[in-house]
Amino acid sequence: MSHGRARPVPALATLAESLVAYARKCGADEVEVSVSDGHEFNVDVRRGRIERLVEAGSRVCGLRIIKDKRTAFASSSDLDPSTLRRLVRNAVRRAGLGNPDPFAGLAPLSKKAVDPAALGLYDPDVVSLDSKSKIAMALECERLALRDKRITNSHGAGMVTHVARSVLAQSNGFVGEYEQTYCGLGVGLQAGGTDDRVEDSWSSSKRLLRDLESPGTVARKAVERTVRQLRPRKVRTQNVPVIFEPAETAWLMGFLFSCVSGTAVYQKSTFLAGQRGHRIGSGLVTVVDDGRLPRGLGTRPFDSDGVPSRTTTVVEGGVLKSFLCNVYSARKLRLRSTGNADGAGVGPNNFYLLPGASSPGDIVRSTRKGLILTRTLGHGLNPVTGDISRGAFGLWVEDGEVAYPVSGITISGHLGRVLEGIEMVGDDLEFLGAVAGPTVKVAEMTVAGL
Amino acid sequence: MSRKRARPEKAGAPDRPWAEPFGLSPADLRAALALALSSGGDFAEIFLERRTYDFVNMEDDIIKESAESVGLGMGIRVLAGDRTGFAYTNDLGFDKVRQAARSAAAIASGRAPAAIARSLRERRLSRTAYRAGAPADRAGLTRKIGLVRQAYETALRFDRRIVKVKASFQDSLQQICVANSEGLLVRDTRPMVKLVCAAISEKGGRRESGYWGGGGRVGLEYFRDDLTPKRIGEEAAREALILLEASDAPAGEMPIVLSPGHSGVLIHEAVGHLVEADFNRKKTSVFWNKTGRKVGSDLVTIYDDPAIPGFRGSYDVDDEGTTPRKTLLIEKGVVRGFLQDRLSAKLMKRPLTGHGRRQDFSHPPLPRMANTYIAAGGEDPEDILRSVKKGFYVASLSGGQVEDSGHFTFSVSLGYLIEDGRLTSPIRQATLIGSNIEILKRIDRVGSDLTFGLQTGTCSKEGQDVPVTDGCPTLRVSKMTVGGRS
Repeated sequence: MSHGRARPVPALATLAESLVAYARKCGADEVEVSVSDGHEFNVDVRRGRIERLVEAGSRVCGLRIIKDKRTAFASSSDLDPSTLRRLVRNAVRRAGLGNPDPFAGLAPLSKKAVDPAALGLYDPDVVSLDSKSKIAMALECERLALRDKRITNSHGAGMVTHVARSVLAQSNGFVGEYEQTYCGLGVGLQAGGTDDRVEDSWSSSKRLLRDLESPGTVARKAVERTVRQLRPRKVRTQNVPVIFEPAETAWLMGFLFSCVSGTAVYQKSTFLAGQRGHRIGSGLVTVVDDGRLPRGLGTRPFDSDGVPSRTTTVVEGGVLKSFLCNVYSARKLRLRSTGNADGAGVGPNNFYLLPGASSPGDIVRSTRKGLILTRTLGHGLNPVTGDISRGAFGLWVEDGEVAYPVSGITISGHLGRVLEGIEMVGDDLEFLGAVAGPTVKVAEMTVAGL
Repeated sequence: MSRKRARPEKAGAPDRPWAEPFGLSPADLRAALALALSSGGDFAEIFLERRTYDFVNMEDDIIKESAESVGLGMGIRVLAGDRTGFAYTNDLGFDKVRQAARSAAAIASGRAPAAIARSLRERRLSRTAYRAGAPADRAGLTRKIGLVRQAYETALRFDRRIVKVKASFQDSLQQICVANSEGLLVRDTRPMVKLVCAAISEKGGRRESGYWGGGGRVGLEYFRDDLTPKRIGEEAAREALILLEASDAPAGEMPIVLSPGHSGVLIHEAVGHLVEADFNRKKTSVFWNKTGRKVGSDLVTIYDDPAIPGFRGSYDVDDEGTTPRKTLLIEKGVVRGFLQDRLSAKLMKRPLTGHGRRQDFSHPPLPRMANTYIAAGGEDPEDILRSVKKGFYVASLSGGQVEDSGHFTFSVSLGYLIEDGRLTSPIRQATLIGSNIEILKRIDRVGSDLTFGLQTGTCSKEGQDVPVTDGCPTLRVSKMTVGGRS
């Protein structure tokens, strides 16, 4: 059993445990109930005025029922006991209409537990921060950004806080509970005239208020990111080195995650299925999934299967070491769960590329001609094949220096060859979200333009 | 301003059966609206929603899981000038409703209260865009399992090279009620179904995927009369197999021909989002100062029509209680209109178009697309293809994205090379990029074959997902950048 910090809300755990008992009584062999109770505050300001203010609390309950190795799920935001009991009875009945699945079933009860209090998930300062202060932070952030004369319009600034308590109860006796906070501050800007407009944004997202970037820092970064794109050119189609800024490395890692997810592997919907133990990247590539990183946005004491969080080395020195699994995909693949259950699927905890030794400045200086990728548009990632093709914005590098901004181009390549082509890794790992990485330089990708 | 302060009515016993499934009577709603306006504001609105959802999927030859979910809640907002106060709750006890009303009211503190209609009068909807002959919510799970199994087995048996298949069916029934301080009270019940199939093919260690599906605001009869599970399975398998033979896309600028139907994503991204009224009211869209001005070729006329029967993007009433109308957006290349919600329409002093939509009760409405399409032109699609000596043909698309500056992308999941006016090698995944005004000017051939894309699309904006449909005839774009490899 693992319990969160003080301020108990007995109703949640009691509700979860009583539903487990009820489902067992209705004939379920195994039962899992999750309940979460959240409170959201969200203010959007634009051009110095409040545009939208949202404040609300909500609860949701999720059920998984297994009977004769057949699985049924249910969820409800209507927590009326009669509704929930009806959903339980329906789920038991519906389970009978599916087929037996030898891989279905809850995780065995783990003896280990991670103490949520040690993870830095909860900050009372986020909870006690009053609405006025949050509104003031958003207004201040936008005001500082608009002071720059090159900024011609604003998408607005926003401040968000979330507080949530989550409970998971299973028929194997597991009951886990924890509380978490989240705060975020961001601003979106435009520069240039209506017909030669550029735009970008910056935001900071943290668990703890004291870790959040100040309104001034968020504003400064958003302004810099926006104005550096003014007067872009379109380049000729060519193959060049591509330098990924940390926010861009983050989506590359997100794509890698979707290719090492146990679900994708057993469904054969990833080009990396069958590649465990093989080299998939350069020796500079080491990637970790860590569910216990203190204060991490992807940190949690246990996953949605109730499996305690751990640290998994996914890629070490370019060699694919582990797939990331929930209990179900692990059984399918004859592996062990890595604590990556996310709802009924698999999700990243804190999934990141370890930093290297190069400074971002040195990486740019090492490049005779190439693209610094600063932003992408569109999806264009196919885990089945590993193909990458995305709309791109960036800075063109000539002789180790930024020459001019570029837009209206695409970058394309293949994830395997991109990882193999990583020839420099920056020392600037930054967790902008749960999936992260430092600056990296990829030896060659196709930039399509004119 | 001398406005009579609204007197909150006592919350009486709910007058069942009206109150089902929300347990709130019109008098309760009026009382909550009055409370929401008690510290000022111009307008208050309640959105009640109950949504039931069923899901079943098949993989590895078994019906693996089924799921049922219930969403119940209320969103309440107060408008004060260009400011919105919004709160929601999934507990519809009257004390929680009042608490939400007070939270929403916080936006307007210090201003004079607005008038509120003396009573709420229900407006009955006279027409319907829903075609549920055999409503899915009343059908048993066994019948839905039958549809899933048929799509799955068709795809798996289509060819030996198909190694994995997933198929799933989902249906939902959304009951909504909108009440506002102007006295509007309207209810709607919206059905939705969707059957999709994904197939993985494998040959010599190479894997590819194919996807197909359909549905809409229809009943199960759709899968007999319009699109059978067998066809869905076949098309998913066929796409996966064609891609096994596909080459890498070319890179650089070239002429593009877009297939009818699927390619509506181009119009959705290149035009649709940028004529949503909020981006124009805020002057962040490139179109904000271009009403009445020519931005595209004479051949380009674009509409959004939320009333097309059975379509995924259709509705009888929008999420603010407005009856939608077919809206002309671009006429022969000239910007004619924007997609409006109440807030933007009021601030821009434009008529409502019925495009105020929200993902669910926990989100405030935004101007959104419904069914967006480019009107048919006069050319034979074959002639359009024949006109291209060397270019790229977009056969199916998997999505797109746009930013207010007008840069947009869309991802092609299957394409073909055009050589001497004929389709030759199949081409795998590539992203195309353009800027919208440039592309609108470069649309130089429009076919007579207007078709709508798969009825499976979802559009995301500011974290809210809503179902949409896009359509277009065969189109030629004289030049666009293809993100392939060289």
